[in-house]
Amino acid sequence: MIKIGKYIIFCFALLSIPGFSIHLKAQNLKDPLHLPEIEIKSKYLRDNNGFKKTTIDSGLLINHLNEDLSNILSKYSTIFIKSYGNGTLATPSFRGTTAQHTMVEWNGINLNSPMLGQADLSQIPVSQFDGLEILYGSAGISKTTGAFGGVINLVTNPDWNNKINILLSQTIGSFQSYTTNLNVVAGSSSFQSHSKFNYAAASNDFPYYNAYENTTMHQQNASYALFGMSEELFWKLKDKHLMSIKFRYNQDDRNIPLTESNPDTNHKENQKESVLLAVLDYKFVEKKYNLFVRSAFASRKMHYTLDSSIDDNHHYNQWINEVKFAYTGIRNLSIKPGIDFTHDQVNSDAYDGMKTRNTTSFFSEINYDFGPKVKMSLVIREDLVDSKFLPVVPAIGVEYIPWKNTGLSFALNLARNYRYPTLNDLYWTISGNPDLEPETNYSAELGFSFHHQAKDRKFALEINLSGYYSWIYNMITWSPVNGSNDLWKPENIDEIWARGLETGLNLKWEILGFDLSLDNNYHLCHSTYQKSSSAYDQKIGNQLIYIPVHTLNSTVMIERWKFFLNYNFIFVSDRFTAKDNLSLMPAYSLSSVIFGKKIPVKHLVLSLQLDINNLFNLNYQSVANRPMPGINYAFTLKLGLSSLYRQ
Amino acid sequence: MLLCAFTALSLLPSSCSKDPIRQKIIDPDTTRAANYENGIFIINEGNFNWGNASVTYLDNASNHVFQDVFAKSNSRSLGDVAESMTIVNGLGYLVINNSNRIEVVSLKDFKSVKTIEGLHLPRFLQVIDSNKAYVTNLLNSISIIDLKTNMVTKAIQTNSWTENLVRYNKCVFVTSIGSFNKPSSQRNAQILVIDIGTDAVVDSIQTGKEPIGLVLDKYQKLWALCSGGYDNYEAPALLRINPDLRIVEKEFTFPNLQEVPGRLCINPTGDTIYFLKGGVFQMPVLSQTLPGQALINDDGRLFYGLNIHPVSGYIYVSDAKDYVQNGTAFQYTVHGNLITHYATGRIPGSFCFTRGAIR
Repeated sequence: MIKIGKYIIFCFALLSIPGFSIHLKAQNLKDPLHLPEIEIKSKYLRDNNGFKKTTIDSGLLINHLNEDLSNILSKYSTIFIKSYGNGTLATPSFRGTTAQHTMVEWNGINLNSPMLGQADLSQIPVSQFDGLEILYGSAGISKTTGAFGGVINLVTNPDWNNKINILLSQTIGSFQSYTTNLNVVAGSSSFQSHSKFNYAAASNDFPYYNAYENTTMHQQNASYALFGMSEELFWKLKDKHLMSIKFRYNQDDRNIPLTESNPDTNHKENQKESVLLAVLDYKFVEKKYNLFVRSAFASRKMHYTLDSSIDDNHHYNQWINEVKFAYTGIRNLSIKPGIDFTHDQVNSDAYDGMKTRNTTSFFSEINYDFGPKVKMSLVIREDLVDSKFLPVVPAIGVEYIPWKNTGLSFALNLARNYRYPTLNDLYWTISGNPDLEPETNYSAELGFSFHHQAKDRKFALEINLSGYYSWIYNMITWSPVNGSNDLWKPENIDEIWARGLETGLNLKWEILGFDLSLDNNYHLCHSTYQKSSSAYDQKIGNQLIYIPVHTLNSTVMIERWKFFLNYNFIFVSDRFTAKDNLSLMPAYSLSSVIFGKKIPVKHLVLSLQLDINNLFNLNYQSVANRPMPGINYAFTLKLGLSSLYRQ
Repeated sequence: MLLCAFTALSLLPSSCSKDPIRQKIIDPDTTRAANYENGIFIINEGNFNWGNASVTYLDNASNHVFQDVFAKSNSRSLGDVAESMTIVNGLGYLVINNSNRIEVVSLKDFKSVKTIEGLHLPRFLQVIDSNKAYVTNLLNSISIIDLKTNMVTKAIQTNSWTENLVRYNKCVFVTSIGSFNKPSSQRNAQILVIDIGTDAVVDSIQTGKEPIGLVLDKYQKLWALCSGGYDNYEAPALLRINPDLRIVEKEFTFPNLQEVPGRLCINPTGDTIYFLKGGVFQMPVLSQTLPGQALINDDGRLFYGLNIHPVSGYIYVSDAKDYVQNGTAFQYTVHGNLITHYATGRIPGSFCFTRGAIR
């Protein structure tokens, strides 16, 4: 299944295109192939006082360049990913909420479609960001309203020490899958340029056992091709002025695979999408205050076809303007007011005419330290949607650090939040419901974290525990309308109670020349329906469909003699497929291994890597009726030019 | 300690189960009916693309309700979107719309004896004689099935979505909604008249948009129920048709575009028709007006399937709830008094009664 020859030719052909290696610049990989001296970074951070945030940095992402965001989150976070198949729609469930309650952002720009209100994580290649921040629950209020689950922010940051850093990576894998990445990062202490290029394609015709047909078949109509490029330019002037321009373009052509029970090989379903983002940021930094100004533009085109019955085009443009101010002139106090304005414009075959929406958001953050032990944050946000004010969204967080230098802290936060209906909810032809009310969320969270680092920096341990409690009222659910000939409409019908525990344990240890690290996450989540529609409706107190009660992931990473090994284990408990909880997808666990070797040659580093996914060849489905691949392999060759750091 | 536990877990091999991990129905009742020859079948559509269609069986002899009888007898799922079931010669013909097939099962043990393929998203089956049946499809044509070989032998080209069929003398009347892929404005709604000797379309009757229901009353009049179109193109209508003259004799127009009637049925004596419009409505065929009040109110339920017992005249109506849980079937007297209710599978859409079913 692994075809090497064709591949290498392709990747070198790419290098030889004149101008290509110069013009396309890439990601901020500080040292792409060379893990630095054991780097101890806290995974658990408090974004604002009392709010939870974790990070996944480039050091961890570097071995996953051929994967997408959905893989990273299922391996290294407590977020559950609902995947419809290999390389197909993957949506997040964060803290017992639905995909629309998780906002995915790229450098602060919302990637959730304003039409559907959610992001497809399978369309976001890992190579397009340097690291990611996960903001849990009400921590997201500092970024946006409506993210009851949280916010996933993909970030790229300049490294002002960098001179040049080039990475070329080529993967070939099972089911004719090919991934190419080229990143070029170059600049000086006052200017940095990041250029990235990525391409991924697969015929994705993996064999699977079809329990309905009682035979082994190959998945059909599952091929995809993704292409993306970005250019990011950063300027710094006298440590006072920071400016950046970022462009990102993605193009995606994917067939939507057949279900297990629909053996009709003539069935064709396809989705083509292109997304362009442009962001201009300027920041002025003074001693006691700073000012941030942003203007961004996003344009997305989508073309969906289903056999000969549906052929729809959707096109939207989004224009975002933001001004933020921060004042830190008073001791122990910071005040950060701001305003942002978003204009959405949608032209869709599924709507009756062009639809627009103007959202103006007024917000302020106030952080105050009551001495070294107690710190507090207050975040207030208010949205004006078209000409209607939504109620105020407040969030308050408190952090308590009982003893100095022990790495122990406790956090508490309380919040109220709203989510405005999506444009599909409001305007989908015939079904759309312009009378929808925003969803309301009340949440509380209690957290504890402990961080210990040995004096010689050869050992670090982090433990984190958070409990959350959240009610969603007026949740918007699409459901059939009685007496309407099978018409579905979105309505404010559900009431959800989500509560759970998140624990994390991270360890890094440098011993006998081995670099060891462990990354573990466990999430216990009860998210239940609290309202029924009739005496015969059996859902009260039952777990939401497709949200597991237990998710666990655990990764062991070992490095020695430039060899590296990464073993990842995921466990997902039963997911109900019915609101009466009388049918389910059984629990499963998956293991994957990455093994590789780095070979440094002067300024070049060559790296070879083998990935084995679904190591025990489990015959499973994550979503009912959607086949998943058995054991599969990927081989990656990486070539890095680095170490040209300014001394 | 915690660390050890995590590490131990991470080194555990993957699930030891050799069974493929597929959707499971939680049903503590593992018993099977002695046979399936005397009772009532409830056909549960299941969710589109979820592959969870099923059959519920109410056994007359034991008064027991058996769930998911096809999967229990055949160790595989029934498929995706089960539309209807028709009994012919001791065999049940289960029309599975989105799996594009008909499962032919023996009523002795509900085991599949044949899977008929070569259809075009099938809907309903009408027996013509002991050799032949017609099957309507969402696309292309009406398929002709040889009941001896259980194969598709021929097709009657319609180039439209055909739905319900009624036999009348030497003809079959079929509701034809128009091209499945087009909006109501571009659909040619009609009732096709097919000569069962030649299998040719010999005539047609123009109707209102989306004629979804068709029954024959005791006075040999056809009744057609038109929904007005999925896109609320026009007001729904109930038509009385003279099948000899092939003309619409009378048209009852429903007042509200958004309140759409469906599931037209008739009682055993052929003098009263029933349909769903939120609740269950009852209308004598000699009535001069549409019924104003529901016989059975929905009370927050989502009525989805309706049928009238061919002997007792009892009303069977199903509640599909929100489509994402098992449904409930209700049995009412002709006066609309609740007798009992049964648990069903997901999205109960139609009922099928065995010849001897006496409930």
